[in-house]
Amino acid sequence: MPENDHLSFLKKILLRLLGFALTMLILSVVAFCFARCAPGDPLQSFYGDAVESMTSEELITARTRLGLDAPLTTQYVRWIGNAFQGDFGLSLKYKKPAMDVVSPLIGNTLILGLTSYLLVFLLATLLAVACALHEDSFADRLICKIGTAIYYLPSFWLGVVLILIFSIHLKWFPSSGAYDIGRARDILNRLRHMVLPLVVMIVSHLWYYAYMIRGKLLDELRQDYVLLAKGKGLTNRQIVWKHCLRNVAPTIVSIMAISIPHVLSGTYIAEAVFNYPGIGALSIESAKYHDYNLLMLLVLITGALVILSSMAAQTVNEVIDPRMKETGVSAWQR
Amino acid sequence: MAEINDPRFRVVGPGWKEHQPVIQKPTLRKRLKGKPIPALILLLLIVAGCVFSGRLANHDPAGFYLQHLNQAPNSEFYFGTDSLGRDIYSMIWYGGRISLSIGLMSMAIICIIGIPYGCISGLANTRVDAIMMRIAEMASSIPNLLTVLLLVSVIGKQNTFTLSFIIGITGWFPLARIVRSEVRQIRSSEYVLAARCMGISFPNIMTRHLIPNFVSSILFVVISSISSSMSMESTLSFLGLGLPVDVISWGSMLSLANRALLLDTWWVIIIPGVFLLVTLNCITSLGNFYRKETNKKHSNL
Repeated sequence: MPENDHLSFLKKILLRLLGFALTMLILSVVAFCFARCAPGDPLQSFYGDAVESMTSEELITARTRLGLDAPLTTQYVRWIGNAFQGDFGLSLKYKKPAMDVVSPLIGNTLILGLTSYLLVFLLATLLAVACALHEDSFADRLICKIGTAIYYLPSFWLGVVLILIFSIHLKWFPSSGAYDIGRARDILNRLRHMVLPLVVMIVSHLWYYAYMIRGKLLDELRQDYVLLAKGKGLTNRQIVWKHCLRNVAPTIVSIMAISIPHVLSGTYIAEAVFNYPGIGALSIESAKYHDYNLLMLLVLITGALVILSSMAAQTVNEVIDPRMKETGVSAWQR
Repeated sequence: MAEINDPRFRVVGPGWKEHQPVIQKPTLRKRLKGKPIPALILLLLIVAGCVFSGRLANHDPAGFYLQHLNQAPNSEFYFGTDSLGRDIYSMIWYGGRISLSIGLMSMAIICIIGIPYGCISGLANTRVDAIMMRIAEMASSIPNLLTVLLLVSVIGKQNTFTLSFIIGITGWFPLARIVRSEVRQIRSSEYVLAARCMGISFPNIMTRHLIPNFVSSILFVVISSISSSMSMESTLSFLGLGLPVDVISWGSMLSLANRALLLDTWWVIIIPGVFLLVTLNCITSLGNFYRKETNKKHSNL
């Protein structure tokens, strides 16, 4: 019945939203507890060395002003209440509202993350198909060996070596930043800055996913319908592209869904190595300076990004593969 | 009646003995085939170098040779010196100790948390299992690096133990998941049922019955967790969140990489990185040896 279908669809959306809210709540509690139980004194990071020359009365007023004197639960409720109004407190390092520090950088991270995410999976699928077509040939084995070796290359080291070669010695690409000063709208300039981080992202993630997809494709090639297709006179290429890849597509999408945190971690490292102004570089910096208000906001933003995008991937999965809808199993049960 | 010159029979004399083919012992070469020997030898060399670092090092690894800042590799400083004037050749061997021990300790922590968690989740009823796996799933849905950052900023100054603790405590989810799925497969076999009926305690079931049966299938994950932990350590140290510069490890040596870029001293970047890379790859290829070959069936293509 269509009406019933409609209702269950609504119910599912509501359930997902509930799950999202619950996860965010837990995440915020955990982040808050971590930040408040930390030994680094927030006063110290806010006022710097001036703390030592303050009188005890000044210290107390400073604590009250920053809201550090109330019990933990009150502080949490106050914090979350303000958070709903978009106020995440002052960044202790930048002396600005945390949201103002973060909001111009989200776009940069999204551009880098999304581009590398799509490129990684596009190239991984192509590589996997190429390997599966020539299974056990010399080229396939060579690619497998090289791929495994490259996968264990620490990505920050690769980035540093790339800077050493391409921006210091050959001077082809800039070594840091997302754009030159005053050229934020210049797409070519942005692209030039993105080349090296993208290379690092792709090289450090490509093989992990290509190998997974290759394995799935090889399993698929052992199915009986491949024999039938072969008997029908299709070429190997046609079989892999038209039949096998289509059957593997839902698996690729669910791999894509689980991979989001992994790729995002990679973005963080790439941003830090190339001084790319994004939320990754910022969160590493704020962890270094014990800037907890900023770090909490960044944890929440990253959490929301990850959860929302894996929900989106799950929905896409249901659209392209109706089998998923009925079972509704999550990744770990398969 | 068989005739005398039937080809199936042979007329033999009284002293006849059946020919026994000499059973050839497999040669050394054949026995070593398919085993990761080069990786093993390289790894042993590196480990031995780190263990006997006191003999190998020709300078004090913590000493600052201020007359010899940023020297390229030469006959006195085999791998050159860094921007603080320390001898990289000696630091490599001393630093390897810390890097390898962080890898091993993190692996131990990952096993200590991941294996019991997976076993409990695998043996428990559906509801408990679902909750436990949801928790693991939720925790692993946050980028690993971010959890590490949070913990690092909370703990503050790092030493070898806290760093391995942090890496271990954020890295056990994949292991727990694999252990759980393995336990699910053997949980209803007779010996596990019998053990549970006899009322054997959970730790005993785990160590006597479960672990021996799935150890071969988790070995790959366990071994490669050493290399991923070492990689994580070096990443954190590079970002300035791991070990401080005065605790020598391959990662903390690389934390001078940014300064080396400005000074254009390639040996500070390349040499520790190559050691790290070679070690990681050796460990991984050892791990790969224990990986189960999944599809041996012939392809239909």
